[in-house]
Amino acid sequence: MDVSLTRNFCIIAHVDHGKTTLSDRLLEYTSTVSERMLTDQHLDAMDLERERGITIKSHPVTMVYRAKDGHDYCLNLMDTPGHVDFSYEVSRSLAACEGALLLIDAAQGVEAQTVANAHLAFAQDLKVIPVINKIDLPSADLELCTKQLEDILMIPAEEAILASGKSGIGIEDILEAVVKQIPPPRWHNYPRTRALIFDSIYDPYRGAIAYARVFSGQLKVGDNMLFMGAGQKTEIKEVGIFTPKMAKKAVLSAGDVGYIVSTIKDPADINTGDTLTLTREPAADMLPGYKEVRPMVFCGLYPLESSDYEKLKSALGRLRLNDAAFVYQSESSLALGFGFRCGFLGLLHMEIIQERIRREHDVEIISTYPSVIYQVFKHGQEMIEVDNPVNLPEPGSITEIREPTIKAAIHIPNTSMGDIMSLVMEKRGTIEQTDTLDATRVMLTCVLPLNEILIDFNDRLKSITRGYGSMDYELGEYQPGNLVKMDIMINGEPVDAFSSIVHRDKAPGKGRDLCEKLAEIIPPQMFKVAIQAAVDGNIIARDNVRVMRKDVTAKCYGGDITRKRKLLDKQKEGKKKMKQIGRVSIPPDAFIQVLKN
Amino acid sequence: MSEMLPMSSAPAEPVPGPLGLYVHVPFCATTCDFCAFYQTRPTAEGIARYLEGIAAEMRLFPPDRPVTTVFWGGGTPGLLAPSALRRLGELVRAYVGDQLVEWTVEMAPASVTRARLEALRDVGVTRISMGAQSFSPELLAALGRQHTREQVLRAYDRVRAAEFPSVNLDLMFALPGQTEAEWMSDLDQAVALAPDHLSTYCLTFEEDTKLWVKLSEGRVKLDPENEDRLYERTWEHLTAAGYPQYEVANFARPGHPCLHNLNTWHMHEWIGLGPAAASQYAGLRAANTADLNQWFENVGQGRRVTEDRVELTPELLAQDALIFGLRLTAGVNPVALARRFPSAQWDRARGVLADLEAEGWAEKSGPLFRLTTAGRLLADAVGEAILTAMDPG
Repeated sequence: MDVSLTRNFCIIAHVDHGKTTLSDRLLEYTSTVSERMLTDQHLDAMDLERERGITIKSHPVTMVYRAKDGHDYCLNLMDTPGHVDFSYEVSRSLAACEGALLLIDAAQGVEAQTVANAHLAFAQDLKVIPVINKIDLPSADLELCTKQLEDILMIPAEEAILASGKSGIGIEDILEAVVKQIPPPRWHNYPRTRALIFDSIYDPYRGAIAYARVFSGQLKVGDNMLFMGAGQKTEIKEVGIFTPKMAKKAVLSAGDVGYIVSTIKDPADINTGDTLTLTREPAADMLPGYKEVRPMVFCGLYPLESSDYEKLKSALGRLRLNDAAFVYQSESSLALGFGFRCGFLGLLHMEIIQERIRREHDVEIISTYPSVIYQVFKHGQEMIEVDNPVNLPEPGSITEIREPTIKAAIHIPNTSMGDIMSLVMEKRGTIEQTDTLDATRVMLTCVLPLNEILIDFNDRLKSITRGYGSMDYELGEYQPGNLVKMDIMINGEPVDAFSSIVHRDKAPGKGRDLCEKLAEIIPPQMFKVAIQAAVDGNIIARDNVRVMRKDVTAKCYGGDITRKRKLLDKQKEGKKKMKQIGRVSIPPDAFIQVLKN
Repeated sequence: MSEMLPMSSAPAEPVPGPLGLYVHVPFCATTCDFCAFYQTRPTAEGIARYLEGIAAEMRLFPPDRPVTTVFWGGGTPGLLAPSALRRLGELVRAYVGDQLVEWTVEMAPASVTRARLEALRDVGVTRISMGAQSFSPELLAALGRQHTREQVLRAYDRVRAAEFPSVNLDLMFALPGQTEAEWMSDLDQAVALAPDHLSTYCLTFEEDTKLWVKLSEGRVKLDPENEDRLYERTWEHLTAAGYPQYEVANFARPGHPCLHNLNTWHMHEWIGLGPAAASQYAGLRAANTADLNQWFENVGQGRRVTEDRVELTPELLAQDALIFGLRLTAGVNPVALARRFPSAQWDRARGVLADLEAEGWAEKSGPLFRLTTAGRLLADAVGEAILTAMDPG
């Protein structure tokens, strides 16, 4: 097919603005999928995605559309992940396109993710076509939407297409705009074969399958190809396109979006963003924008029942096969036993993986406090990276600790301004800019340390704004922080699961909270037990486990002695299952209770 | 703690200690809501079988030395007709020999009659233990007890009139709906009767009782903090009233502690006869079959069938002597115990006792080691700590 008749585009939107429904309508309109075949949301394959209304993995699809000019166009729709945790994946999907439909919910207007995604699309030089969706809703406010388009996104209002995915309004307008406004595939004249990897999946029979957009040249079965970034060579076993099912083809040419099966078995060996070329005539330059995806948020995951360790291990292995951004390695904890240190792209990614372990793999797990990667500088030595507080070097040897920051766009009703500003201050953030979105809403642009948003930032944002606030963020620079490691000690012994890296000023408050919580949850003991929070060897907070007051039963006569013995033996056995810290017996779920909160 | 080390040449239990006899009389007119003991309804045939069975079991299981204390428990021993009491009493007298110093019979207030008391007095019973439980009509009704306050008072007068050398009253506290004031009033009323001995039991919820069912259905609630307070107040109050505490649940005027029970807690031996009766004798701790008919059949065929059998090693006896001995106000004599059971894990026990002392739960007094009042409130936890240390397997 003539490359000038191909269009590669994607749909970008805030969560719930109707992206999946619109995609389904496009597939239907172009008869790519019959109406009967469409489950409600066709492209979101995972249950969890469907439930949360978000897309985690990208699923491209090729449609054929006969335009009003009489030509048959090949339209490749890339379905991008809908959350910033996956912003690199989003950016690679965008990089595989020439244009994007920017979807705005007519009733909600522009929201935090709309802005973030639009910026990502502009950064990839895409032609952005605004689509105001759900215009048939009674609460639709077109005037507000067009004004926000101009004010916030600098997009001329007259470019906006009015649509409703649900009732099929504006679908043809959208397809015509794709054909007319989005440019044909770029860089197809480059003299060598180049294709961009934007995703990969694992197939138990065929190994790792790469999803790629071919920019120039051709890929066909039997070709030897090279992953330029990874430096790995392999032989092509099969190529094809998505219709939306995988459909074998003899060759993938410039402008095509499809899949490649090779001799590579492990998807971890295929890096999203990498450039493919042919070994016999390799390209000189990679496609722009490649970087290795690195997890940003870490936590320990432990099975609730230690006997589930192997089950958890296999669950992590299987999740990893389809999610190269997720990493793990085994670790053990005094308090929690054997488990895994896991790395995630962000909070949502972490939540999703945990949920999938519980739901799809049926393993009950507990997670430790999430941590970020700190850059630690020591006297006369190279910087080291620390993602687990337990691995922080001796405080005396550290000259500086740097922590990652984020740049956040927070959309809130202007009545919540004061409270949200206090929240940002409390979380050691700075507000760089305040923009008015409309008569009732403002957008705050803030810089915050990443570790401050890990625990309860989003929950508090939602509760302060009664659910109306939304936040989006991108990773920012590392900045030096007055950071210290805080240990929690029970009976003088540090309990690793509770160690954390915190800002020095916040240590006493956080330490007090943790000590208090533990004192509350650990059952009364016969011997005095101190719970202490320590920084640099100094106790900054302390509490005591409650002292047992009564544990006595009467009636211990002749016939009762055997019974009493049995009871004591049973209690003794029960204690064996508890964590022994010195003389303290702590039920295994006590730590979990504290971590759960 | 060095005095606790066993003397290497000390002989192990050179003389057998005192021997007790426990006779379980398994009949009750009704079952109290809190009771988990084995008992059955009294029928003429059942009682006849029972007496025949006791005679058979006595022949099967003669004591190797004279018995010094006897305890009839149940059930309600006092429910037997005077003639049956006499028959059982004669069997016991023939069995025990000539060294008897204490003979206790448990009675329920409703069945205390002059004829029964006379029968008991005639066979040689020295001590009556009466399950009063409370003087409050509402609480008695709530426990499912079959007697009234008036019956308690009348029964007590009759027991006193029969001139038994020692009389005990059992009381229960932390009953559903009972206030602290009500309990203190019960204590005062009991003290006013001037018994020789008082036993006070915090209500416990045992499986297979009606009370347990009520608890699990949420019809009654536990109030552990109230229990703490009632324990403490009881102990103070009775000691001040002239009834020094000598065990977690037991108080007596000087000279009146129950010797039978003390011997049990010192891990001496006793023989148990009757269905469900437990024995600790000749190296074995075990309980008879808890079924009247089965037990009767077994002893009739010349067999003693027991369950829950525990071999009494010196190590186990040493642990139990500490665990149950520390429930006594007098405490234990670790040196003497180490001499009696030299092979036990005394080095490990020493560590726990030192910890208890350091924490203020226990103290030394001459050769004795005893729990403080606060420590006695933790007697179960102490027992578990001792068990964990001395028997870590």
